[in-house]
Amino acid sequence: MAQLFTPGADALYRLALMTGVACLVGLPVLAAGIVRSNYVTGVGVAPAQPLPFSHKHHAGELGVDCRYCHTTVEKEATAGIPPTHTCMTCHSQIWTGSDMLKPVRDSYAQDKPLEWKRLNKLPQYVYYNHSVHVTKGIGCSTCHGDVTSMQMTYRANAFEMQFCLDCHRAPEKYVRTPDQVWNMTWKPPADQASLGPKLVEQYHIRGGARLTECGICHR
Amino acid sequence: MTGIPDIAALRAKLSQGDGPRFWRSLDAVADSPEFRDFLAAEFPSAARLAAAPERRGFLKLMAASFALGGLTACGAGGGRDHEVPYVNQPERIVPGTDLSYASSALFDGFGNGVLVTTRNGRPLKIEGNPDHPWSRGGTDVLAQASVLGLYDPFRSQAVQQLGRPSSWAAFRSALQAQMPAWRAGGGEGLALLTGPVTSPTLAAQIARLRAAYPALRWHVGAGATRDGLYEGARRAYGRPLETIPAFDRARTIVSLDGDFLDLGPGQVGLSRRWIDARRAAYAEGRLLTLHAAAPTPTLTSAKADYGVVVPAGRLEDLARDLLGMAGGGAAPAGDDPVARWARDAGTALAAARGAGIVTAGLTASPDLHALVHRLNGAFGNTGATLKHVEPAAEQGASTLAALAEAMERGTVKALIVLGANPVYEAPGALDFAARMQRVPLKIHAGLYDDETGAHADWHLPIAHPLESWGDVRSLDGTVGLIQPTIAPLYNGRTLPQMLAFLAGGGDAEDAGALVKARWQGDGDDEAAFEARFSEALRRGFWADSARPFETVALTQDAAPSPVITAPAGGIEVLFRPDPTVWDGTHADLAWLQELPKPLTKVVWENVVAVSPRLAEREGIATGDVLRIEAEGRAVEGPAWILPGQADDAVTLTLGYGRDVPDHLSRGLGYDAGPLRPAGPSWQLSGARLMKTGRRSVPVTTQHLGTMEGQDLIRVQALAAAPVGDPKGGPSPASFYPPPGSQDRWVAAQWGMAIDLDACTGCNACVTACQAENNIPVVGREEVRLGRWMGWLRVDRYYAGGLDAPSTHFQPVPCMHCEQAPCELGCPVEATLHDSEGLNLQVYNRCVGTRTCQSYCPYKVRRFNYLDYTGGMTPVEQQQRNPEVTVRARGVMEKCTYCIQRITAARITSAKDAHAPIPDGAVETACQGACPTRAITFGNVADPESRVSAARRDPREYALLGHLNTRPRTTYLAGLAPPAEPGGREG
Repeated sequence: MAQLFTPGADALYRLALMTGVACLVGLPVLAAGIVRSNYVTGVGVAPAQPLPFSHKHHAGELGVDCRYCHTTVEKEATAGIPPTHTCMTCHSQIWTGSDMLKPVRDSYAQDKPLEWKRLNKLPQYVYYNHSVHVTKGIGCSTCHGDVTSMQMTYRANAFEMQFCLDCHRAPEKYVRTPDQVWNMTWKPPADQASLGPKLVEQYHIRGGARLTECGICHR
Repeated sequence: MTGIPDIAALRAKLSQGDGPRFWRSLDAVADSPEFRDFLAAEFPSAARLAAAPERRGFLKLMAASFALGGLTACGAGGGRDHEVPYVNQPERIVPGTDLSYASSALFDGFGNGVLVTTRNGRPLKIEGNPDHPWSRGGTDVLAQASVLGLYDPFRSQAVQQLGRPSSWAAFRSALQAQMPAWRAGGGEGLALLTGPVTSPTLAAQIARLRAAYPALRWHVGAGATRDGLYEGARRAYGRPLETIPAFDRARTIVSLDGDFLDLGPGQVGLSRRWIDARRAAYAEGRLLTLHAAAPTPTLTSAKADYGVVVPAGRLEDLARDLLGMAGGGAAPAGDDPVARWARDAGTALAAARGAGIVTAGLTASPDLHALVHRLNGAFGNTGATLKHVEPAAEQGASTLAALAEAMERGTVKALIVLGANPVYEAPGALDFAARMQRVPLKIHAGLYDDETGAHADWHLPIAHPLESWGDVRSLDGTVGLIQPTIAPLYNGRTLPQMLAFLAGGGDAEDAGALVKARWQGDGDDEAAFEARFSEALRRGFWADSARPFETVALTQDAAPSPVITAPAGGIEVLFRPDPTVWDGTHADLAWLQELPKPLTKVVWENVVAVSPRLAEREGIATGDVLRIEAEGRAVEGPAWILPGQADDAVTLTLGYGRDVPDHLSRGLGYDAGPLRPAGPSWQLSGARLMKTGRRSVPVTTQHLGTMEGQDLIRVQALAAAPVGDPKGGPSPASFYPPPGSQDRWVAAQWGMAIDLDACTGCNACVTACQAENNIPVVGREEVRLGRWMGWLRVDRYYAGGLDAPSTHFQPVPCMHCEQAPCELGCPVEATLHDSEGLNLQVYNRCVGTRTCQSYCPYKVRRFNYLDYTGGMTPVEQQQRNPEVTVRARGVMEKCTYCIQRITAARITSAKDAHAPIPDGAVETACQGACPTRAITFGNVADPESRVSAARRDPREYALLGHLNTRPRTTYLAGLAPPAEPGGREG
């Protein structure tokens, strides 16, 4: 009777085994890579909006303050998306015939809100409050990136729990002086290592252990 | 737990002291192996799988659960992909921020002051209005659930003609065609039926309408009217009057079937006045004693210091005995409990001449009310501890019975029903539905297209109180204003709008202007009036608008002569409004359906309450379907053996047996209406009781969360040694800093104290918790499986004998133990502590092993077995509190001490350089709703806080404290009169 297995069978068997092992290790790694990829998290992807609003132009080049539109960022949990009326404060005077701004004028004339694609989203069991972060020296760009350089706005960070915890564990690395909060191009100054702890003390930011308790963000 | 209980054995067990001192149910007293198994299994469905023969199946399921467990996290995160800002930002509306409006909650036409919390223009939660002179900050279950009513998908959404969708315009032209004829005939044949009207605007409009149509007949009907009460006052004083007890001046209270603590228009205000007085007395070392005689247990009789069970037919005799004692007559002799009670009550009233209160309730007979007025006169209480005011409800209307008669005679040509449901509510003796068919034109306006809507030619949707402009009087006459907190969802109109149309105006007059028009005098300066009105609107009521106290004099005719009531034989049938859905008006609200009834803990249905003695005699077990027959009519419902029920009486509650197609309330319970006599009577004697042989075991939560241990309930007799945990001395080791030395970064150490003396078992806290914390309703069958989801339960314990026990209530939220057993069990650390002492539950970590639930000695953890929150209609989702996570299937949940409210206060303080959170800045939902302020919440590390003061009370004790769980929620023992030598207890 002929041999069931040819001499090459061993090699095939080893290959199959190795493929199996590689898959066992590789698939989770691949999966982890995919869920963290920009494709899934949406980081750096600027979706089509009802009109091509440019933060770079308004906040960067023209220097309109963040709070002109996001009025409640210092007082409330949400920063606030500006009503059409806010756009029209300027655009009833300038670029009144622009085609690009037609959706804004239509919205205002027909009393129909503009529907923006949401960029920054947290899971439903996470509760974030803008006002307390801003008043405690955490700047806009720490989470939202350098919005003043974005022609079309995109999500700058994935907002996974790790991202939040980095700062909640060591706020001294990210905390700024009050005048720097609105600075979109802020980089930690050279003396952040000594300035940070002082600011943490000054702002009465709770210790790292307290800030990482579940109930701070989850309820 | 299903067979006929051996009641004689139970009675013997309790009287010999063999049984538990405080017990929840007959099953618990019997302590049968069956019952013990039920408790041991706790949740029978899982226990069945783990049993030996099915071990393989169990393991298979567990393996599958393990493999697929993560899938529950793969939900569609849809619905939040867009940001939709306003076009023009409305003033004061900030997205994501609460905005509160003062308004009034309606209860059978009467008002209580509330604050409506809205967010993004949606009303979310009802809080009490602490400034309101009548309700003073508490709420009742109906007010709490009214926000669910607003978003109820079963609400009537369109004008209907003969059951087909129509429009307001069609209705307007149809009616305008009729109106010239009405006008020509002076309104001959026109009948208007409303619920009780306390609203000054409505009253003025009805007066105008009657002026325009002099022959129009106005009738008032409701499931539970105050007619008997007003009739009693008429017999005593010659005119209808509302009696307002001034508990603060009283030294003793005698209740003859009283209901001042029970659900009703006066509950919130009266409970508050009662507890304030009782607390003030305790501070002086006295007890504001409550002597209560009742034929069927109520919340009022449950709080009695001296209670007795009296057949309804004997209440009047009892009142006459007391009246005799007032005149110096002899006290009733004998050693039966009733005579003893009468001696005690009479002596107490005589000792507190001018400082006593005798009270009777809504369901008492007019004769009893008259006797009570005479009793108060005889003891000098009238005018001192009892104030009389004109009824808040507008008088001068005819009754429902008169309407039924007129319809029978055929003299009613057009019937206009505004905000009532007579086809369901009218007593069966009136045969309303059949008689209504004799009316050529029937118009029904209601929140629901209900039984009456089905019999009407036109059905019109009315606006929900949260969508309406209006005004309403409280029991004492205080005028509260109602303002809309959202635009009408379904194009409903308010009652003033409809009356304005009937009086010849347009069909959609400005609802706000109609209310303003009532309050603006002819010569009023426009600007000054606007300012006054805005101020009243801001506060929610017109200041000092309570009715003035009347001086009353008893009419000369002698007290009704004692009629020797021959023992009628047969069964006495008592009718009572339901303690959660009242007369059925609110039967479609799932929160109220799933709210355990205070005394039976039954959900989703009503039962026929029978006494243990009757059950013993007739061989009735709980769940046997009984048939009660009287005067040729019959009602069938499941039996419930109720300790404290008069021997030969059965109690039927209203509000069930509704039959509106597709509605939630359809097919729940039985309708007691057919048996109800016409007129204001709430009882019926000479009924026959039969067992049908069928069984339908009511679903109850009374065994859920049964705790193992001693001294769950403690009672502090006055002048006895303190029953609370010893104070002072070395405190056991704790992970938390001792008071006064806390870490500057930690805002507070949260704790709660619950005063059992103040808890009346009213359930307002449970409903408030449900509204605040997005607690799902699971339905009758799930509750039967032990899956009731409430984070806060109110346990009801009995003490003493089977036939006339004393009753104790104990609200049990999460104890937030400092050394929490649940935390040891969790394999994924989904439940853990924070530095403020909160026992956190992290939903996104929880994998649903339910170990914590079985480790919890207080049984306060609830598991989402199914996707209870999914599949909800979009309109219902509007009610969800966005500050609280809506839990998914497969996670554990429990009371969080309203962490969202704590967080809000903490963030405010953090933004203010960590200014200390002021005491009282965080109020939990249950605390805010409590009419008797039984719940105190705050910082236990601050010796100055109210909760710390409560914890220093010698009555303070920890539930199951011997387990060394160091609970943050502690209790203050209930109060009892000083024990008499040789003791009679409970």
